[in-house]
Amino acid sequence: MSRRFAAPLTAVDTVDIADAPDGARVEAVKRIAGEDPYLVGHYPDFTIYPGVFTLESVHQAIRHWATERHGPGAVAELAAITSISFAAPLLPGDTLRIGCDLTTRDDTPATVRAKVRCHRGDGALSARMTLELRIDRRDGDDHA
Amino acid sequence: MITLEHADIRRILPHRHPVLLVDRVLELEPGSRIVATKTVTGSEPCYAGLEEDLPASAYAYPASLLVESFGQTGAVLWLYSAAMAGERSEGTLIFGSAREVTITGRAYPGDVLRHTVEIDQLIGDNAFMRGETWVGDRRIATLGSVLAVVREGLAVGTGS
Repeated sequence: MSRRFAAPLTAVDTVDIADAPDGARVEAVKRIAGEDPYLVGHYPDFTIYPGVFTLESVHQAIRHWATERHGPGAVAELAAITSISFAAPLLPGDTLRIGCDLTTRDDTPATVRAKVRCHRGDGALSARMTLELRIDRRDGDDHA
Repeated sequence: MITLEHADIRRILPHRHPVLLVDRVLELEPGSRIVATKTVTGSEPCYAGLEEDLPASAYAYPASLLVESFGQTGAVLWLYSAAMAGERSEGTLIFGSAREVTITGRAYPGDVLRHTVEIDQLIGDNAFMRGETWVGDRRIATLGSVLAVVREGLAVGTGS
């Protein structure tokens, strides 16, 4: 699968985007597979989806929103992790469900705040985080 | 001054290729502070499968891996210090939480990440750390607080 950005793995399987009053609601799903890139080393005798890969999954879900909103050249760069915490672990066969509320600000450069809760397939909270991202529209067309 | 080469780091961290993201320890003061490097190269798996004719920004080292590399550097300090003190943790090393992380710059293939990490507090199987990541004379990230945890019961025989 080809990508437009460096990433350790394809960290979302599906992404759904809906408009919300202050921005957007982004929901994404990732099924954890032991064969995913990098997981062979994390760890050799016991595979667990690294916490930073949950961050990567959320980031990729927001990248989908950015390209849908601003065009294929738009880049959503992670500017800050205000807070992030992990609860239930994700193991091969588990499903990660991401729910992300985006608040957009039309300053320059455009910034986005993401409040995110992630659940495992069985409903257990696996992570929550608040992120700030900078949207670089570059060669992207604004579809708004 | 304690320095560690890659073979030493592999004896301390449970991570393995391609997710062992600390190459060399330049300075280590047990229980206190560490400076370590990770060289970014275009041959890493994260650069596989990119489209042709992308802008330079597409080759920015992923923020997720930058945070992981920082966390692993802190874990080297923690686990090395614990081993020196005769303590041994049983369990799986995981990323517990973080606060006040700002990413102000990017690293690209050819750059050397230099992490400086200090232990703020150790409480049982929890290590609170903070620090910065530099590329040359550019600071590209500030990590206000990162919590690493050794958690029991996830798997038998894993971890440090």
